[in-house]
Amino acid sequence: MADKLRTQQQLESLQNKYIGTGHADTTKHEWTSNIARDSYASYQGHPPLLHYMSIGTGQCMERTRMACMEGMVLPVGPAPQTED
Amino acid sequence: MSNTQQTQAFYSLTLEPPSAVTAAVTCNAIPGLKTADQQIFEARGQRIYLHRIVENEDRTVIKLSTVVEQDVFGIVRGVAAFRIPGTPIDQLIVSSDSGRIALLNYDSAKNAFKRVHLETFGKSGIRRTIPGQYLANDPRGRCCMLASVEKNKVVYIVNRNAEAEVVISSPHEANQWASLCFGICALDTGWEHPIFAALEVDYNEAESDPSGAMYEQREKQLVYYTVDLGLNHVVKSWTDAVDYTANIMFGVPGGQDGPSGVLVCCEDRIYYRHDKTSPLCIPIPRRKGPTEDPNRKRIIVSGCLHLQKSRHEFFFLLQTEDGDVFKFTMEMAKDAQDRPTMEPVRLHMKYYDTYPPAKQMLLIRKGYIYVAAENGNSKLYHVNDLAEDPEVEPHNNFTSDGVSSDPAATYEPTYFTPRGLTFTSLAYDVPGLNPLMRTKVDNLTGEDAPQIYAIQGTGNSSVLKTMRHGLEINEIVSSPLGNLQYDNLWSLKHRAVDDYHSYLLLSSGYGDKTIVLSIGDEVETMENSPFLTNRATITANQMGDATLVQVHARGILSVLESGALNEWPAPAHRTIVAASSNDRQLLLGLSSSELAFFFMGDDGVLNQLEEMPEMSGKITALSVGQTPRGQQQAKYAVVGCDDCTIRVYSIELETALEPRSVQALSAVPTSIEVVEMLDPSSNVLVNYVHIGLQSGLYLRAVIDDVTGELGEVRTRFLGARPTRIFPVEIAEEQGIVASSSRPWLGYNNKGTYTLTPLVTGQVEAARPFVTEHLRGFCAVQGQSLLIFTLPTTDGRLSSSEVGLKYTPRAMTRHPYSPVWYVAQSDGNTLAQGTKDQLLSADGAMNGVDEDVSKQLGLSRSAGHWASCIQAVDPIFAKAATHTIEFTDNEAALCCAAVPFESKNWEVYLAVGTGQHLRPGVSAKGQAPRGYVHIYKLLEDGRNMELVHKTPFDAPIYAVHAFQGRLALGVGADLFLYDVGLKSLLRKSRGTVVANTITSIDSRGNRLICADVSESITYVVFKPKHNRMIGFVDDVIQRWTTTAAMIDYETSAGGDKFGNLWVVRCPEQASKESDEEGLGGYIVNERSYLGGAPYRLELRSHFFTQDIPMSIQRTALVAGGQEVLFWSGLQGTLGMLVPFVSREDVEFFTQLETLIRAEEPPLAGRDHLMYRSYYVPVKGVIDGDLCERFMKLSFDGKQKIAAEVEREVKEVERKVQEMRTRVAF
Repeated sequence: MADKLRTQQQLESLQNKYIGTGHADTTKHEWTSNIARDSYASYQGHPPLLHYMSIGTGQCMERTRMACMEGMVLPVGPAPQTED
Repeated sequence: MSNTQQTQAFYSLTLEPPSAVTAAVTCNAIPGLKTADQQIFEARGQRIYLHRIVENEDRTVIKLSTVVEQDVFGIVRGVAAFRIPGTPIDQLIVSSDSGRIALLNYDSAKNAFKRVHLETFGKSGIRRTIPGQYLANDPRGRCCMLASVEKNKVVYIVNRNAEAEVVISSPHEANQWASLCFGICALDTGWEHPIFAALEVDYNEAESDPSGAMYEQREKQLVYYTVDLGLNHVVKSWTDAVDYTANIMFGVPGGQDGPSGVLVCCEDRIYYRHDKTSPLCIPIPRRKGPTEDPNRKRIIVSGCLHLQKSRHEFFFLLQTEDGDVFKFTMEMAKDAQDRPTMEPVRLHMKYYDTYPPAKQMLLIRKGYIYVAAENGNSKLYHVNDLAEDPEVEPHNNFTSDGVSSDPAATYEPTYFTPRGLTFTSLAYDVPGLNPLMRTKVDNLTGEDAPQIYAIQGTGNSSVLKTMRHGLEINEIVSSPLGNLQYDNLWSLKHRAVDDYHSYLLLSSGYGDKTIVLSIGDEVETMENSPFLTNRATITANQMGDATLVQVHARGILSVLESGALNEWPAPAHRTIVAASSNDRQLLLGLSSSELAFFFMGDDGVLNQLEEMPEMSGKITALSVGQTPRGQQQAKYAVVGCDDCTIRVYSIELETALEPRSVQALSAVPTSIEVVEMLDPSSNVLVNYVHIGLQSGLYLRAVIDDVTGELGEVRTRFLGARPTRIFPVEIAEEQGIVASSSRPWLGYNNKGTYTLTPLVTGQVEAARPFVTEHLRGFCAVQGQSLLIFTLPTTDGRLSSSEVGLKYTPRAMTRHPYSPVWYVAQSDGNTLAQGTKDQLLSADGAMNGVDEDVSKQLGLSRSAGHWASCIQAVDPIFAKAATHTIEFTDNEAALCCAAVPFESKNWEVYLAVGTGQHLRPGVSAKGQAPRGYVHIYKLLEDGRNMELVHKTPFDAPIYAVHAFQGRLALGVGADLFLYDVGLKSLLRKSRGTVVANTITSIDSRGNRLICADVSESITYVVFKPKHNRMIGFVDDVIQRWTTTAAMIDYETSAGGDKFGNLWVVRCPEQASKESDEEGLGGYIVNERSYLGGAPYRLELRSHFFTQDIPMSIQRTALVAGGQEVLFWSGLQGTLGMLVPFVSREDVEFFTQLETLIRAEEPPLAGRDHLMYRSYYVPVKGVIDGDLCERFMKLSFDGKQKIAAEVEREVKEVERKVQEMRTRVAF
């Protein structure tokens, strides 16, 4: 029983430290949000990629960066209604 | 790296590093310079640079010169510089993808970056929650903060201990779950506790609310993080909501200099915010003009602060996304005694000038503004006026009066009219290639080496560039010499102590004639010269103090200072075939294969050595070394014979003409020069012998000073003609001109001996040419005398450009004439037609200066497209010869020149377009459509005429000429079309890829189609059955940007994430696809996992950081092996060189491993992990890392050389030859 508790604690500390660490009840919404946020973070983190997108959309890199940041707020829409 | 042992391996080299600036900051990193003499610390791609502004006394020549650059093998994301109180120089911080903070400073003794601290705070790689995206440092140099886009922030406190060492604290974290950070900046708090401000959005509630109401109510918070230096922790000290569109912040000076606080720049407005004072707000002025949308809101993209500490005055320069720069000042409240307080009451903005939109704008105390442009070349502007007088252009002054600081309140927008540069002038244009959209290596001019054609830039500052490997020459005089072909020339001084040349001798071996020119204010023929003119000259020189010596076939003529002539006739029945001399020594080669040696005494008379040794073969070339400075005689002479040998002889008087060593050659030597040059690695003078061979090869060897043995032979192929060598002086160092089918310059450049061609025609002979007004070269070129100078020897590429109208997307060449077709389009931009309408309605049709409109950029308008196709002749007309503008919101995306079989192989131009494209906007309403325009090419392709256009359901991203027809991709379908009278006629169709075809290439009946996200698919066309069958696809999702077949089985490509890869079709699939007819097999093969029946094999993979935009298999130099040449968006030119021998692969694999261990990358990223960013590196050796060998310390080199069981010199030679063999 103690073992189980420790595993639980370890998992919780991991979830706290690293956003996106899943758990048994991860919903589709959580999972897809995480992926979308990771992608948006990656787009702005790689300067050539941000540059590429900015040229494609015909705007400055700062605007593209803000669009990526804004996308991270609610990347796949609000969470679906829970049943209970 | 066991993989590399099995298949083809490549050696990756960067030819031109990326020029797009990621981050830049001013600093005072070089000790001993004045505070005003600021340097620029800059990151471009994976390299960091330290630049200095170099100017002459009257500021007529201004240059940005690089002090030091280093490849850090990591993605650099931010840089900062700060001065720890009480230390002499600035510390430099690099934030990269290593999950570590690197603290560097500049080591002036070694001229290199020195790492002071490297502290780990997180995982490596670019991750959402690992700090590194944002970097800010306290203006008083006490601490710095790194932040990630979500949740994490770390603060490092830096200090100086009693031993004057820099100490760094452990990281202090300030983490906030579910909070997104939009930007950070440091506040200037004087000597109070440092504060960092952050723009944050908490998404926790928005995400958990299913109704979406919380999302609508989300707020952007301005958060202050105070670093308590006493308690050693970071606390959140103040939070307040700001305008939701806020994107960037600037810290306002504090302490004695100002009120502290931050400028929060939002869409259309700038706020001043601080916890101690009331907020202020000023709208960002909008552009006024007939083609400007009066409702468009701008954001601030960059800015810089100028603080005059002595007067406690400051201002900001803030730049909008259009490039308009405003001077931003604050007015303080006055107290009862009329003294300014620290309470700001009013904000001022004044339109200053318009620059290209910057990634970073820096104000340099010497009076310059450095604009690290987002697109195009970075620029340095000289500040002529700080616009301090409010009376100048009063209509451009704007204030915050009457503007509410409530984000919800309405306000009256302000307007200004942009104009040309007024307060500043362009001082220096930093050469760069960013953004590089496409390149193509082709030989349009028939030179021996191909040129690189590139489409580059965005908007109306785009260009088509023609790049050549070579140095540009500045031609001063080119005067015809008549019909006679001259083959050699000499420039002579009158006396040894003279500074300038006085005589110029030109000799014609064919005409057996010499002409003498006198060099003064003008170069003119000398009538009564002492020289023999009815003979061809073999060599001429000024020897001794003031003796002029002319050697001709029948003897030697020496002219003493007194005017007396001395003649030495050649021995009977023998002629002189080769001769060489220096200040005192003269060596002749006779037709009888004998050598004759002379030494000049102090009286200026030549004394012959009695001994005349005979050589083994006919003498073809010889050289005595130049007289070393401060000595009377050179030690060695080198003699080359037609038995393909060269021999080294001692020519010191005591041991005159004693043989020392022999070296066999691959061909007959035609020219030999012994030149004393600086060895850049050891910094000592070394005697090099440069040898030109009949076969066009060039060799360079070192003569051992003691034994006279030849060693360290380097070889290079220069051209198809016999190579001739001429010693010259370049930038006060010795160098050579090697002339083959074109002239090459050999010189020491940035610590390595470099051979670079000169961009000019074939040259017979070249010599130094020094007069009072000119330090240059003279040369015989064809039947003219050419006098030229070299403007610079810094770069290795020279380029010329032709301006384009919009952002170029694709280019294709006319198959026969030297004309390029460039498809150009710009999103969110007014089309030319609309613009003309607006202008004519306004009545301001003309009067817009072309230069000014280029500087101001194109008129923006959301949802509009401006697009055109241009025929550009970069060789003869050097201009666009024809332009066709597109209307109806169409955007040209791709083009190809297609010879149609049905039109008797007449070449047409096909242009694929998209209509109503909405990049970056979620798909709503009508889907974008596409068209293919077909143009008839007239006047050798210089003119285009529309034949017809055919509509399609999706935008066309790829068109390709395929077997007399047009292959094109419409969404996921591949079509073959033939040209009809009114439209294209569909011939065949196949659904081959998953999403959208972005590029097509073919060989024989095999095509490869690149998908936007699903790598490439091999397709076979069965002409008899008119079917296209996809038979091989890939296992990895590669977001392909470019792909090319490098042979029938293999393809190379690049993707959006910066990878280069080589994939190959499995043997069985290849065989099956080529079976006769449908064969029943490949067509009936069952699809595997929803894709094609077979999968591609990955052969090589490499992470380049930059996004490859073009890849091509081509040779880059005359006679060079073929390489994979690629170009990247940020201006990288690179190549993958296939290894020829297994031993080389093993050697370089070992060398790479050793260098990795000996010198780990500066910013702390693991090199192997970096090159394996997405996929483990396979079959590619990083040549850029191997070239770091040259920069290692002596001990480091020795250690590695011992490990690979070779000499240091040999390793250096191997590393250098990998580059010089195939490229530059």
